[in-house]
Amino acid sequence: MHITMLKDLGPPAWGKLHEQWGGAAGQSGKLMYVMHNSEHPLSCFALFENGPCLIADTNFDVLMVKLKGFFQSAKASKIETRGTRYQYCDFLVKVGTVTMGPSARGISVEVEYGPCVVASDCWNLLLEFLQSFLGSHTPGAPAVFGNRHDMVYGPADTMVQYMELFNKIRKQQQLPVAGIR
Amino acid sequence: MSGVRAVRISIESACEKQVQEVGLDGTETYLQPLSMSQNLARLAQRIDFSQGSGSDDDDAPADGDAHDWAGTGAGPGAEQDEDEGLVKFQPSLWPWDSVRNNLRNSLTEMCVLYDVLSIVRDKKFMTLDPVSQDALPPKQTLQLISKKKSLAGAAQILLKGAERLTKSVTENQENKLQRDFNSELLRLRQHWKLRKVGDKILGDLSYRSAGSLFPHHGTFEVIKNTDVDLDKKIPEDYCPLDVQIPSDLEGSAYIKVSIQKQSPDIGDLGTVNLFKRPLLKSKPGSPHWQTKLEAAQNVLLCKEIFAQLSREAVQIKSQIPHIVVKNQILSQPFPNLQLSISLCHSSNDKKSQKSTTEKQSPEDHLYVLEHNLHLLIREFHKQTLSSIMMPHPASLPFGHKRMRLSGPQAFDKNEISSIQSTEGLLEKIIKQAKHIFLRSRAAATIDSLASRIEDPQIQAHWSNISDVYESSVKVLITSQGYEQICKSIQLQLNIGVEQIRVVHRDGRVVTLSHQEQELQDFLLSQMSQHQVHAVQQLAKVMGWQVLSFSNHVGLGPIESIGNASAITVASPSGDYAISVRNGPESGSKIMVQFPRNQCKDLPKSDVLQDSKWNHLRGPFKEVEWNKMEGRNFVYKMELLMSALSPCLL
Repeated sequence: MHITMLKDLGPPAWGKLHEQWGGAAGQSGKLMYVMHNSEHPLSCFALFENGPCLIADTNFDVLMVKLKGFFQSAKASKIETRGTRYQYCDFLVKVGTVTMGPSARGISVEVEYGPCVVASDCWNLLLEFLQSFLGSHTPGAPAVFGNRHDMVYGPADTMVQYMELFNKIRKQQQLPVAGIR
Repeated sequence: MSGVRAVRISIESACEKQVQEVGLDGTETYLQPLSMSQNLARLAQRIDFSQGSGSDDDDAPADGDAHDWAGTGAGPGAEQDEDEGLVKFQPSLWPWDSVRNNLRNSLTEMCVLYDVLSIVRDKKFMTLDPVSQDALPPKQTLQLISKKKSLAGAAQILLKGAERLTKSVTENQENKLQRDFNSELLRLRQHWKLRKVGDKILGDLSYRSAGSLFPHHGTFEVIKNTDVDLDKKIPEDYCPLDVQIPSDLEGSAYIKVSIQKQSPDIGDLGTVNLFKRPLLKSKPGSPHWQTKLEAAQNVLLCKEIFAQLSREAVQIKSQIPHIVVKNQILSQPFPNLQLSISLCHSSNDKKSQKSTTEKQSPEDHLYVLEHNLHLLIREFHKQTLSSIMMPHPASLPFGHKRMRLSGPQAFDKNEISSIQSTEGLLEKIIKQAKHIFLRSRAAATIDSLASRIEDPQIQAHWSNISDVYESSVKVLITSQGYEQICKSIQLQLNIGVEQIRVVHRDGRVVTLSHQEQELQDFLLSQMSQHQVHAVQQLAKVMGWQVLSFSNHVGLGPIESIGNASAITVASPSGDYAISVRNGPESGSKIMVQFPRNQCKDLPKSDVLQDSKWNHLRGPFKEVEWNKMEGRNFVYKMELLMSALSPCLL
């Protein structure tokens, strides 16, 4: 059993960028998160906490700049995770370091099972795979799967999971045990 | 008249009611006929009660019983009677009386006519005699004269028209020589796009309307040619119109693609000479501005091709980087091989005409690739105008339609790369050049082997249908005279871009690289195997039995190319056996096994006591194959086999 690093899909590095935008002053302070994923290089994701997720073109960033009057950037916002991407048959494993500014905050591990699009069908397989190398740190089923077990999984769901992870890391203090999701 | 039958006549009265008014759409409104009371009132009004008369005939009003006073003639007639003092009222006067009288008169007349005609028909008592008429006066001359006049009039009109036509034809012919600027401009407009800017007439000779994205403006100017001396004779090729093309498009150009064996020194790069290719002969009827503009357009297209190639050469990363020097692009498709693409542009100055004495080697030019370059750039042009690109929203860059959805639908890298065509012009041309080179080298290898080696003959059948990236050839190895028997080695070679795939008749697939030595070695090993296969087939025909057969023997000296093959066959009677070992390098070794009683120098032993053991085959003896009769291996083998199987009488 060996894990091969992809050679011909460009640099094996990957990254996710997460910015936070707050609502205008005076409103209820709803937070909107703008995220980028190197897996979908030409798209931009915008999500609210429990709300809808928008998948847009990269021109969305420019649009946000123009809408500066209505939104304000929340402080200490950008979180990034960068690392290497491994492909093992149908599994895609991405291991990255979560950094906020200059400081590293944790490690993120993402496992994707390519062939299946319905979450409930392959959760057990994913769990088994995770257990093989994570051992005791294996997490439980993500909240995204919660009540929509039979719905088709999409890139928006990945971003929701990352958003929750980043928020969790943000709330932690510095130098804790690395939070793995 | 008494004998005349009664004739039934139907009579219908005319419109009973008087028309009061005719509407606009033709409908008629009638006057309602007077009712009885109204009629009475009308009649009563006419009665002048003051004038009394003898007869108190007041029957008139009483006669207003339901009677339509039919016939306007009868009506006023009756009224008139009453106006005359209302005395005479004839009760026998009923409305149809006059009609009946008229009819009766006409019937009478008709009967008389009928009688007369019947008497006349008999011709006994009455005949019809025509009235003699005077002869007509001779009108023929009059007719002739009148006809002549009318014809003359018609002829006059026709002649006038013909005169006008001939006048215009002669005018045209005259004008041909002194061509008008406007008519020439009209001819120019039929071929090229012109527009008027200020007081200048500009034209466009670029491919932008055909989909090109090259930034050259490609405008030419149309000027009037006024430097002609009207006193002198107008020269034959005088044209009142002249075009002025941009200075960098003057002359003629072409793209030269060539493959050289060795790479030259670095210092020699970029010194491709600008050969002046003989000008393409223009069509005989085309005016000089057409050839000029076409040449300029060709120069522009060549410049675009070269610009695209050099841009790709610089941008695209490849294992061996391409070199772009001045007007030449160099790349190495295979080791020790160099492909050079250069833009040769010769302007029409006097300077460059001096250097046209150099000869160009015709084998150098790969005309097919040059043509393909033109085709590829035109294909690229068409793609920018195709339905997958156009129409596009103003806010998006030029690109495939599906790329606009890549953001909102979160396409990943696989999907994005499947939409975008990754191969550029340079890569395509290099692939084509590789294929051409590989194909010509394979053909040369096969041909050299065929001319060098005579014994198993090698035949190559090239397929007519081929791709830019793939060709195929069928190679047959046969022995002369035994083609039907020994046809076990048939190879199908698929020549691709970088390697050659060989499919054997028995299903094996071998992939050879671009090295020509590999193909040669492979064919040599196949030829040696063929010999042994031929022996096997021959044995079947001759009735000999195959005792053992091996394509790759593990014994004996190791061959440097392939493996040796061996076969052992026994004669029908079992007395003799022939053993053959054939290797590509070591050649063939044939040994014959004789029965023991034919060998003289066998050591006697106590083990074999019966004489029957002497009939078995014993030791081997080698055959001097080169002294053997026969023009090829199989023939020799056949002779040997026939020599070793004696005929039993």
